[in-house]
This record gives sequence, structure tokens and C-alpha cells, in this order.
Amino acid sequence: MKALIFSIALSTIFFAACNSNGTKQATSETTDMAMNETAATADNPLKGIVTGYLNLKNALAKDDDKGAADAGNGLVKVFDGFDKSSLTADQAKIFADIQTDAREHAEHIGSNAGNIGHQREHFETLSKDVYDLVKVTGAGEKLYYSNCPMYNNNKGASWLSETKDIHNPYLGMSMETCGAVKEELN
Amino acid sequence: MILSVACYDCHSNNTRYPWYANIQPGSWWMASHIKEGKNGLNFDEFASYSNRRQQSKLKSIVNSINNGTMPLSSYTLIHKEAILSKEDKMSIKNWANTIKDSLELRN
Repeated sequence: MKALIFSIALSTIFFAACNSNGTKQATSETTDMAMNETAATADNPLKGIVTGYLNLKNALAKDDDKGAADAGNGLVKVFDGFDKSSLTADQAKIFADIQTDAREHAEHIGSNAGNIGHQREHFETLSKDVYDLVKVTGAGEKLYYSNCPMYNNNKGASWLSETKDIHNPYLGMSMETCGAVKEELN
Repeated sequence: MILSVACYDCHSNNTRYPWYANIQPGSWWMASHIKEGKNGLNFDEFASYSNRRQQSKLKSIVNSINNGTMPLSSYTLIHKEAILSKEDKMSIKNWANTIKDSLELRN
């Protein structure tokens, strides 16, 4: 019985995943084109988001849960007030997908001062969200995508940084320099 | 099965209302918890979440089981049947990770 219910639940979700699959592939093809278009734009629409994210990252690297919460709340406001008119239609579509998720992570980080472990869990997924966004629209500044292999029982996690030097936001001051740059973004 | 016993009261549209739902402040206290629970994750709306959000939620399920933050201790205090055994935790985590991996491949 148990197995039956699990497999029903599983296949329901597979179905849902199949449905969204078609559109996903279509958008990823147009992503590359969109990237070239915006690479030349000087004033990047993502600036507010990137700045808010980096504030958050720096607070976590200093083990500052209150600062991280403030940065998280700030990021929620940036997402809410984001002007999508500066994005192309394809970018706006991807942005909408990422926005719901990223905003939610920022909100959780904002409401979890005093629980930096939980803030870091959400920061991990948020980092992937912001990375995917930057890949689509460009960052407007030099960013380094770094990885710490030790976080989360050696599963590892990545983050974006404005510096090439490692200041680990997952392990904080206890392992400040753990990690390495994996990719440079512009 | 585990999910419906231990999670669905707050994370689906099928809440089994207990006796204390009819008296104050039980009903007020419970309503706010259920609202919050469904806001964070509603299995009945799961299929309508984006692929990205589904992965996020599955990851959060695993994290909250690992950290022991879910099910809420205030809930298991009354609902003893919702206390998860080691095996229960394992199978929920395996279930969530399996689906998450398959969603990741579809990205």
C-alpha cells in the first residue's frame, strides 16, 4: 500500500515535470541570444539584485545573522520593486520563474536572524537562482562563482562574489578561506 | 502514507481537524499554523509550482527533516502518530531526493 501511494505521488510529479519540460528547453535556446544582446548594456537592470545579494553574502561570511536578515529583507524589496520593462521578453520569462523562488529564499533569510544555519541553507538555493539570472542578463560587473566542497557534509555549495579572494559565506569565519573560484562572470 | 499522516494536516488542503479545533484559543492558534504551513508548502498545489520551485521545496523538505524542525514539536505533542521514526525519515528523504534529481535532469 505504502509503495503504491508513493509511486502514484511520484508519477504525478513526473507528469508535472514533463509538462513544463517543453517550455524549459525552448527558453534555454533563446537564452544565449539574449545574453549577447545585453552584454553591451552599461547600466545593468540586475544591479540592485546583485548588490543586495553581495551584501547578504558578506554578512554570512562574517557570521552576522542580523546583517544577513537585513540584507535578506532588503533583497525582498528589490525583487518586489524590480522593473521588468528593461528586460527582453525572453529574459522577463526566465526572471519571473526565478523571482518567485529567489524572493521566497530572501524572505526566509530575513525572518531567521538567530538561526544562521537555516539562513545558509536558503542562501545556497538563492545563490543558484542569482547565478542563473546573471547568466541570462549579465551581471554588469565582474563576478566570481566560487565553490566550497566541504559545506553540507561534503556535498559542497557555490556562491557569487565580487572578489577573487575567498570569504566563505557557508562556513564563515571558522573556515574563511575554504573554497575556490570555478567561473568568472561579467 | 507517511506524508499524509505526518504532514498533510498543515501542508495540504485536507486538514483533519482535531477536537480542539472547536474551542478557543485552539482554533485560532491552529488556523494560523495551517495558514503558515500551506504558505510554505502545499502538496495540493505542488504540481503548479515551477520546476525550480519544486526543487527548492524538495530540498527544504530534506533539510527540515534533517534538522528535526518538521513536524513541529507542538504538533507531534498531540499527534503522536506524526512522530517520524528513523525509517520514516529515511524514506521521506529518499523520496524527495529521487524526485529532485529527476527534476534537475529536466532543467
